[in-house]
Amino acid sequence: MGALEGIATGFQVALSLEGIMFVLIGVFVGTFIGMLPGLGPISAIAIMIPITYGMDPTMALVMMAGVYYGAVFGGSTSSILLNAPGISGTVASAFDGYPMAQQGKAGKALAIAAISSFVGGTISVVLLMIFAPMLASVAISFGPPAYFALMLLGLSAIASLSEGSTIKAMISAVVGFMIATIGIDPQTGTARFNFGSANLLDGIDFLVIALGLFAIAEVCYLIMNRAKKSVGSAKEIGSLRLSKDDMKEMSGPVGRQSFLGFILGILPGAGATIASFISYITEKKIAKNPDEFGKGSVKGLAAPEASNNAATSGAFVPLLSLGIPGSGTTAVMLGAFLVLGLQPGPMMMTDRPEVFWGIIASMYIGNIFLLILNLPLIPYIARLLTIPRPMLISLVIMFSFIGVYAISFSVFDLYLLLAFGVLGLLMRMFAFPAPPFILAFILGGMMEQSFRQSMTISGGNISIFFQNNISLVLIILSVLSFIFPIIKTIRTKKKEA
Amino acid sequence: MLKNVNQRIAIVLAVLSAFYLVLSYQLPTYPYIPVDADAVPKALGWLLLALSVGLFFAKDRDSEEQKAKRHIPKKDVISLLVVFLLVFLYITFFESLGFILATVLFVFSSTWYLGYKKHWVNAIVSILFPIILYSIFVYMLQIRLPAGILPF
Repeated sequence: MGALEGIATGFQVALSLEGIMFVLIGVFVGTFIGMLPGLGPISAIAIMIPITYGMDPTMALVMMAGVYYGAVFGGSTSSILLNAPGISGTVASAFDGYPMAQQGKAGKALAIAAISSFVGGTISVVLLMIFAPMLASVAISFGPPAYFALMLLGLSAIASLSEGSTIKAMISAVVGFMIATIGIDPQTGTARFNFGSANLLDGIDFLVIALGLFAIAEVCYLIMNRAKKSVGSAKEIGSLRLSKDDMKEMSGPVGRQSFLGFILGILPGAGATIASFISYITEKKIAKNPDEFGKGSVKGLAAPEASNNAATSGAFVPLLSLGIPGSGTTAVMLGAFLVLGLQPGPMMMTDRPEVFWGIIASMYIGNIFLLILNLPLIPYIARLLTIPRPMLISLVIMFSFIGVYAISFSVFDLYLLLAFGVLGLLMRMFAFPAPPFILAFILGGMMEQSFRQSMTISGGNISIFFQNNISLVLIILSVLSFIFPIIKTIRTKKKEA
Repeated sequence: MLKNVNQRIAIVLAVLSAFYLVLSYQLPTYPYIPVDADAVPKALGWLLLALSVGLFFAKDRDSEEQKAKRHIPKKDVISLLVVFLLVFLYITFFESLGFILATVLFVFSSTWYLGYKKHWVNAIVSILFPIILYSIFVYMLQIRLPAGILPF
């Protein structure tokens, strides 16, 4: 199937009545969960997975993708109105968005965010449409060594790019990988680390980890902060209209940062959060009046908003074309694919073109819906933020329970969910980042498999990883990404001394 | 000696990796397999041990923000524990009472405990949500949630 035909199939899926309905549900739920401070896109996707059981996989994934970029889109609302970012990808949006809102120009700030997000999202979907098939056609020749090296790079990149201590991020990743080794080894049938329990023979389900480490742990923080006012609902939002000058000022940063965000989104480990910060800093550096930044600058709000949405589509490139997630959120997306019985990767474009192109095409429509949801309707949607915290907490726990139970029908898994919730809380308290954990958990099984396949091919000779150019380059890159933070720390120490 | 929080965590992690390593070395191996089921776990165990040694000696400055994040007021510790207890009871009675009853009780009591004052609204939400979700899952998606003592 040619690319044009593929695109046509994609739009057929996306523009069907069902397609439109599920995109709308996805972006609406995503916007809503993204807005709630504390609950991020990972929780949003994980909570929505049970609803997709039994659904047509294409529609389910169209909806899940909508939840993801909808959450990034919606996260800016609470950054601007409350200075409490809904998700980490919109932290940078609060730098200038919140001051703008305090100056009584909340409407203008929301409009800038919505339009920048829309442009960033749309430009990056066009790029996604171009690059994903290209990468997939290259990746089709990848053997197990190259796949192993690619996943290693993904893990080392997320560990070295995580916030805070690199060593803690690496520990998170290793422990996540360890959890992935629980259960029957698929190659030899050896039961590993199940402590004689039949419940652990199949390993731990990814939804238990995703919901525990993210949704339940985030709920714990909501419990502690429940007294904080949800939102001043009656707050005057002001006019949503933008002047010609505003549009002119936005156009530069939005254009540039959409491309930068997309590229950063493709890179393993980066993602929306890092993209938004880098974009903010770049625009500040090249601005004529950098002093305006932080005081309600139009550019300072437009740049991270264009960038984080562009990064979201960028992150779909490795997921769709290689089948390998580069971030915690796309790792959970991969989990959603697998739950629905689909394996993303280079073969998906030819085997299941309706899924591959359907998701991409639906993003155009999703972005248009988001613009509509976020411009005229935002004052009404913001009222949803007034949902009382105590009720929200109880309902999130209930949704997590349904999700886990409906996939395993086991009460044992519910106890595990609680245990991982406690682990997630402890990790947050002691500054161990959770995204490397979930990525390593999801990649762990695949990595071990491709490693052992490679070794079987080579008859136990490890040099197979260095014979192939692609895997050699990828391994060098992953070693560099491990070493880079160490050099950086040594340098800063020297400077301090 | 162990004033540093990271050092205490490092010791816990080292013990954990030792435990994991012991178990990995007990995994059975078979001849003629280049990389057996025990290879990756062993590597992971040693890696975690090395990382915990690294963490022990790392000069990770504990920022004020981190300290603040770790500090949970006593009142909140109690609320967390009570919610955990409610969740624990919810799990325990999930199958015997059935999804609807257990969920109604859980959602209502935890919302009440967490300080929501409008009991009528709470009652309506906590009864309607589980019933609607149960019907969607059981009758539309054909996914069985535990019926428990209720006849449907």
